[in-house]
Amino acid sequence: MAPELNDIGFDRRRDADEVPPIKSELLEINMGPQHPATHGVLRLLVKTDGEIVHSVQAHIGYLHRCAEKIAEGCDYRQFMVYTDRFDYLAPMNMNFGYALAVERLMDVEVPERAEYVRVICAELQRIASHLIAIGTFGLDIGAWTPLLYCFREREEVLNIFERLCGGRMLYNYFDIGGVRFEPYEGFGTDVLDFVNIVEQKVPEYNTLLSYNKIFIERTADVGVIDAADCHAYGCTGPVLRGAGVEWDCRRDDPYSIYDRFDFDIPVGTGEQGTVGDCWDRYMVRMREIEQSCRILRQAVAGLPAEGPVRDPKLKRLVRVPSGSAYTRTESSKGEIGFHIVADGGSRPFRNKVRSPSFCNLQVIEKVGRGQMLSDLVATVGSLDIVLGEIDR
Amino acid sequence: MEHAQIHALLVERFGDAVLDLVEGEQPRTVVAADRIGEIALALRDDPDLAFEYLMCLSGIDWDGYDESGKGKSVKILGYDENGVPETSDRVAEGDFGVAYDLYSYRHRHTFALAVRVPRDPGEVPSTAAVWPTAEWHEREAWDLLGIRFAGHPDPRRILLDENWVGHPLRKDYVMPGAWEEVPLAGRPYAADKFTEDDVVLPQPTEDGGPQGAPKKDDGDGS
Repeated sequence: MAPELNDIGFDRRRDADEVPPIKSELLEINMGPQHPATHGVLRLLVKTDGEIVHSVQAHIGYLHRCAEKIAEGCDYRQFMVYTDRFDYLAPMNMNFGYALAVERLMDVEVPERAEYVRVICAELQRIASHLIAIGTFGLDIGAWTPLLYCFREREEVLNIFERLCGGRMLYNYFDIGGVRFEPYEGFGTDVLDFVNIVEQKVPEYNTLLSYNKIFIERTADVGVIDAADCHAYGCTGPVLRGAGVEWDCRRDDPYSIYDRFDFDIPVGTGEQGTVGDCWDRYMVRMREIEQSCRILRQAVAGLPAEGPVRDPKLKRLVRVPSGSAYTRTESSKGEIGFHIVADGGSRPFRNKVRSPSFCNLQVIEKVGRGQMLSDLVATVGSLDIVLGEIDR
Repeated sequence: MEHAQIHALLVERFGDAVLDLVEGEQPRTVVAADRIGEIALALRDDPDLAFEYLMCLSGIDWDGYDESGKGKSVKILGYDENGVPETSDRVAEGDFGVAYDLYSYRHRHTFALAVRVPRDPGEVPSTAAVWPTAEWHEREAWDLLGIRFAGHPDPRRILLDENWVGHPLRKDYVMPGAWEEVPLAGRPYAADKFTEDDVVLPQPTEDGGPQGAPKKDDGDGS
């Protein structure tokens, strides 16, 4: 699928007239592995024709730890810590996906209280992850200030998690059959306090960044990924919803207790440009923060005051009956899936991880072609990739 | 549509190419590997099925899998001095498998498909032309398991270095002792024994410099 010279597909229509039809010599440049705009150790091999990207090839694997091999060597509960290290900006979501994948193959009853704590953790984590996505995306575009504000609010989430389980970044909090620790006294109040703060801050971010003219100029009509591309390349999460597809694992393939909550699924509408452009993907995340706040309010209200947080019948060494299943959940980046093949023992025979950023990044080779070089930075930023889960 | 209905549809249409239906928590249809291309295309393009989205493609090395469900599969217990894995007793000889998990946004249904191929040559036709997302998944399966995908547009390694020898997720993988003249100290599952001498703690220098404790704040601020 080597790109040919005559089908660059320069798709920014409004710029196409301004660029003179001159072909210069192709220049091959490396963006990364050490580059602030690649969000980690990602290397993009870019061939440029002047300022226009002729082709882009992603080289990944700099953070590869072969977690799937490690999974075959440790028991089901031990592997939970490695799931933290996939998406280190949203470890609770990774924990959640893995716990559900193992529980699906087992006969286990997750207590009601644990289900609520899980949902609260997952939604807090989603907000924290989206705040980083928004902040660093602003940074890619050249806006310094929003990052600092986003980190300020994220700090509140980390404080709650620190009191909950001791970890600030990598939690290892979820367990097969529940969660590891009882939530502390005043957990619900802290969460509600945080929700109150964030709900006030979202309009501030909108004023500061979302509707900033320079920001819109840099992101609207840039890096358009339509619904068909999303399906073909397996893009999920905010990338898919940014393309105008109203689909969310939490509502359309419900897991845990998400069917009890009332929330909307924000989608890209092409408000500032084309449906599926960088601005839409960015804005979907901003609106998802508001929806997560709605879920959090309902979850805190429904959190049972007493009860176990882990299935009391479950033994310490978890044995999973023979069988295999692919289970997916909605993380902040998209669909995180675990394909577990169990042989009846205490270790998985095979544990394949389908990580959302891995599939989301793949589309860059198609979308990147024909863009301006600076727009490539915006496009990569809007995909919100985390190299920890791409390389695993 | 339910899995059983789609399975029946495939049997009707492809006959012998549909080999088996594995029951369980997630039913999975096993089809003949050499016809995966046309089956994939039919699954994607049939308006009643419309599986436009490949959720996941997993390569699996079935070597040593314990069919009895007692958890007695071949396990790598450790490595000897030469890096050859020491495994428990074998209960089975297995082949390679590739599992496809599909989803249709239009009809909101899922389908699970699988192929099995013998270890040698371990080749499956590529489905990257049907689902572009399969391209990277198949590169990963080649990289980590050594499953070849015939007709793949870009059959390179993806996660490991292009000079890497072997495929780590194979059950018979031999961990190299060194790579590019760098000795690999930690081997998976091998119990490395550390002594007290191996642990070097930072010692404070006389002036309490960078190695030692920070100087006490003398009060004039900074």
